Amino acid sequence: MSDAVADKPQAITSRHDPRYQVTLYEHVGVENAWTLDYYLSHDGYGAAKKALTTMQPDDVVGEVKKSGLRGRGGAGFPTGVKWSFMPKPDGRQRFILCNGDESEPGSFKDRYIFEDDPHQLIEGLIIAGYAIQATKGVVYIRGEYHKGYERLVAAVKEARDAGYLGKNLFNSGFEFDVIVHRGAGAYICGEETALMNSFEGLRGNPRMKPPFPAQAGVYGRPTTINNVTSITSSVHIIRHGANWFAGMGPEDSRGTKLYQVSGCVNKPGVYEMPMGATFGELIHDFAGGTSEPAKAFIPGGSSTPMVPFTDEYLSAPMSYDGIVEKGSMLGTGGIIVIPQEKCIVNFMWNCIRFYGHESCGKCTPCREGVATWMPKMFQKLVMGRGEPGDLELIETMSDNIKGTGFCVHADAAMWPIDASIKHFRDEYEYIIEHGVSKYPRTTWWKD
Amino acid sequence: MVEGLGDALAMKVKVNEIELDLPAGTSAIDAVFQAGYDVPYFCSQEYMSPIGACRLCLAKVGAPRKDRGSGEWILDEETGEPKIFWFPKPMATCTTAVMEGMVIDTKCEETKRAQKSMMEFTLINHPLDCPVCDKGGACELQDRAYEYGDGVSRFAFDKRHQEKHHALSPLITLDRERCIHCKRCVRYFEEIPGDEVLDFIERGGHTYIGTLDDGLPSNFTGNITDICPVGALLDSTSRFRGRNWEYRHTRTTSTDDSSGSSIMVDSRTGRIERVKAARHTKINHDWLDDGTRFGHEYVDAPERLKTPLIKEDGQFREASWEEASSLIAERLQAASSVGVAVRADATLEEAVGAHALAKALNGAYDYYPKTAASVVPDAPQATFDDLATSDAILVISDLTEEVPIADLRVKDALKGVTPPEPMAHGIPIADLRLKEHMPKKTDILTVAGPYHVDLMIYAGRKLTYDLGHEVALLSALLNLAQGKDAEVAGLGADRDSLNPLVNQLKDSDNAVIAYGSWVLGSAEATSLVNDLAEAVDAKLLPLAPMANSRGLELIDTTGDNVLGSASALLLSNLNPAQDTQLKQRLEGLEFLVVHDCFMTETAELADVILPAKTGYEKEGTIVNLEGRMLPLTAVDVDGGGSEDLTGVVKALGDALGSRLDGRSVRSARRKLKADWEIDLAELPSEGVLPDESLSNHFQASTASSSPADVNVVIVPTMVRPEYLAYNPSLETAHGALSLRVHPDDANKYGLPVGERVKLDVSGVTRYLVVKEDNRVAPGLALVPALPEQPLGLAFADLQRAERAPLATPKPPAPVEPTLEVSA
Repeated sequence: MSDAVADKPQAITSRHDPRYQVTLYEHVGVENAWTLDYYLSHDGYGAAKKALTTMQPDDVVGEVKKSGLRGRGGAGFPTGVKWSFMPKPDGRQRFILCNGDESEPGSFKDRYIFEDDPHQLIEGLIIAGYAIQATKGVVYIRGEYHKGYERLVAAVKEARDAGYLGKNLFNSGFEFDVIVHRGAGAYICGEETALMNSFEGLRGNPRMKPPFPAQAGVYGRPTTINNVTSITSSVHIIRHGANWFAGMGPEDSRGTKLYQVSGCVNKPGVYEMPMGATFGELIHDFAGGTSEPAKAFIPGGSSTPMVPFTDEYLSAPMSYDGIVEKGSMLGTGGIIVIPQEKCIVNFMWNCIRFYGHESCGKCTPCREGVATWMPKMFQKLVMGRGEPGDLELIETMSDNIKGTGFCVHADAAMWPIDASIKHFRDEYEYIIEHGVSKYPRTTWWKD
Repeated sequence: MVEGLGDALAMKVKVNEIELDLPAGTSAIDAVFQAGYDVPYFCSQEYMSPIGACRLCLAKVGAPRKDRGSGEWILDEETGEPKIFWFPKPMATCTTAVMEGMVIDTKCEETKRAQKSMMEFTLINHPLDCPVCDKGGACELQDRAYEYGDGVSRFAFDKRHQEKHHALSPLITLDRERCIHCKRCVRYFEEIPGDEVLDFIERGGHTYIGTLDDGLPSNFTGNITDICPVGALLDSTSRFRGRNWEYRHTRTTSTDDSSGSSIMVDSRTGRIERVKAARHTKINHDWLDDGTRFGHEYVDAPERLKTPLIKEDGQFREASWEEASSLIAERLQAASSVGVAVRADATLEEAVGAHALAKALNGAYDYYPKTAASVVPDAPQATFDDLATSDAILVISDLTEEVPIADLRVKDALKGVTPPEPMAHGIPIADLRLKEHMPKKTDILTVAGPYHVDLMIYAGRKLTYDLGHEVALLSALLNLAQGKDAEVAGLGADRDSLNPLVNQLKDSDNAVIAYGSWVLGSAEATSLVNDLAEAVDAKLLPLAPMANSRGLELIDTTGDNVLGSASALLLSNLNPAQDTQLKQRLEGLEFLVVHDCFMTETAELADVILPAKTGYEKEGTIVNLEGRMLPLTAVDVDGGGSEDLTGVVKALGDALGSRLDGRSVRSARRKLKADWEIDLAELPSEGVLPDESLSNHFQASTASSSPADVNVVIVPTMVRPEYLAYNPSLETAHGALSLRVHPDDANKYGLPVGERVKLDVSGVTRYLVVKEDNRVAPGLALVPALPEQPLGLAFADLQRAERAPLATPKPPAPVEPTLEVSA
């Protein structure tokens, strides 16, 4: 928590705080919110105009740095700092890439921005593009988001026709346009270098770093990649000022963030809350509590380690560092609540099949470990053929996979396995000993 | 992160206990090998980009850090030395650049565990078919599994099942189960020849390599069988023919073209089973073109002549060398004028012998094919490395077919990275300057030719000039270089685009002009290209027509044209009877001796045939197009009674009762040293490039005039046309010698597409398969060159092409299905 200075108001860390104001999702769920007319009638493109006409690019970067915005895609790298990595303009084409390949199980926040508020994203791209002096914005949108794609493309056309994209925006001399590119259904293309490869028409394999995207990104040109909500957050930072944004959340994690709740809760969905609110507040006060007894929850999308559904963890603040202390990660803020009656081995089998299926196959530990051996081990357990020693083999294999892969996909697939063994070892031992699950109901959907 | 090796900054690096000074940009894996230690690796490959995919080279790596505030090294409190901060994860040493003070530990438990686990993962899906795998005994995976593996598998499931015998092309077979996904082959095609014909398909555990439907359309496909670390990619011609430990490996020089590429010939029980690339850091690196690699089957063809034959009553009968040579000696001594002619891939030693023999018989000596002008330039001579480091290249040739290795070196230049300097362990394993999908600097390359040649795809400037306009092109460029106006009609370019080319050549410090026989075929064009090189300060790379054209020019330059003058001939490996006029001459000779491997049209006219050795069986020396002297080492091949020319000279000398120079390689070398000051006694296997280019220019003959009517370009082929019929694999993959015409012309002249026709091309009877090609201009026909019909222009009356199907039906080549219904 921030040290409250005497003349500085206490930071907002709860959605119950009356000062809290919904911004990112203000228009989501409103009919016709995706049209330019609606957006303009709600101060649309005001922030972009403010940035382009009253601020220098460095001022925009400075404002975002000052706001304390950290990347919303999972890694939490400070957005302003990332923008400042771009080399000085040297005549080469520069790109701002928007990573909209939201594929992590448990994450669905960007989807509704694409569908209901695409102009917010376009405005964010203009601001980000201006800040890093890029004249081309690219939205790499998940292939399955068909409605979102149509709405976004329509919005880009509307914005272009109305002069919000193109040459000489707001008479500032700044030129900017947006390319919308659909993914083809590969999770790994959410990894920034694989995304660049995929956008260029190459195979979706991660690239070697260095060179980092800022030096040589798309087509070898300077590139910055940000998550959808990192970019849309910049709209509100410019509109309301960095101080407003920095007035929310604890020291390490400022601002407002979208949290997604799924699993056994009464009101699953996306909730915008200030950073630093607790998991308990989200799950009990907004998501309507659990619909059946829960034993664990995943705090940030399926690749983050699960934690038990106890007050110790529920009272933890949803901030980048707050949850790390508890042995997990905030990731994308996709919370999955796991019911008591669900077999954790089955659950992990489902997870590892996903990560195995989505491995790109470039490096050995991921192709042979994550995509081949580990799913086979879980299948063996789930089918009741487990033998003594299997659990230990899974553990050592997980140790061998972690930290050896080319990108973090292999690590991301192992973290939840490790956590499930750590917290629910008894379920693994039970299934190995008895050949059947401790909780034989393999689906938590009602019969 | 420091990029590039150009920076001479020395970095102190410690590998285990060995301390090294390395240039910035060196990879950690090369540091390890430089220190004499070892890490396993599969994905890295010399001359290619490191990608960090196999993860075998993981090692514990650490480095000291500087304090952000003071800029001083953070010191270890106990020792006072800079404190080593170990990276949290083991690092792939192939993609990690060395840093000042870096420490690499390849002996610790952490490193060993990481390597052992990666080996376990690599092996879980690799089949256990080493006992029947051709790679067994020479397999990187096998060796590394012994060195770094655990010896037992904990993987108790079914292995991945995929196709075991997938023919990627008629020359290459892929076993998809054995593939360990190192991506060497995929990167090879993208980075070395630039032909993107192979890629991974599917993803994750299902990943496999594959092509589009049309196989591997590239001239450089065989190299992937050399670099495959397992037995996944195998050369179809040698598959299941022997085990690696049974082969005799002979390093020699290819006589396939004038590049002088180094080859490793694997032979067993007197047969050549396969040819692999041998590394030559100055010529072919680790690569070969398919013509060189697969063009060896003729050596073991059953049709090969193995004993001398004497013609009696119009029939040949077998004879001993003694009988044949005494007959030859007697008849040649009696002849009014004797000529000895060799083909331009004869060795220096053979040429010395042929020369001495001609002299002993008071005859004349000559070699064929001979270009109209010297293959040694007056302007400074470029080497392959000059080509690969140039930033302004003009190519007037179909380089990909004429000297394919030069094509690869041009593509090196397009990367903009200088060839790597060898380290203590050889060429760097991971050259971090090379990257996947590097942009190609196509703007440095200009390619000119009378039709669309393959290399034009990579050229920033393409000049498709009209037939026979080499002189016009070069004089236009020369005029522009001298600041004069130039006539540009028919050059495929306007003045505005030729000027930048001339300026680019002028501005560059290392410009190279490579030109082939289209230019060498004209003395005027050759002299213009020399003038141009002087005007723009460029080096020249003339592409000599055959393996030792350059060496033979050195030995004798009299140019006697014995084919046209002598009344008795000894022809070595020449087949002039394809030319109608020359055939009549040969029929009227007093005596004809043919020294050849096969019963050619000319051999059929001979009085005596002597069986010849192939380029693989010879001991000797050739001079490649750079002027580099390169040794040939004899491969253990069962050639029966065949002899090379030194053997012929010895036999005939014995019959003549004199000890001729060149009766053996040693005797020829004595003569070479005495008369030409060429000392070949201790020629290293990578050859020698003399400081001063050995030059003995012949006076260019007045240019042979082209026929008045021309409609045919004689084009180079990567394959050796004279042996193609005896190289079935190569013929299946690349098709028979073809007559390439525009589809409209094929219609107009009623040429039977896909069928063999007999056609008179400027007097030479050619058998060609008609092929339609949209890239050929209408009214033009492309015909591959023969040693007897070198590159240039010719005339053929296409209306008079006659169908000439092969007498013995060959197995049908794979043809694309057509919708046509035969009548």
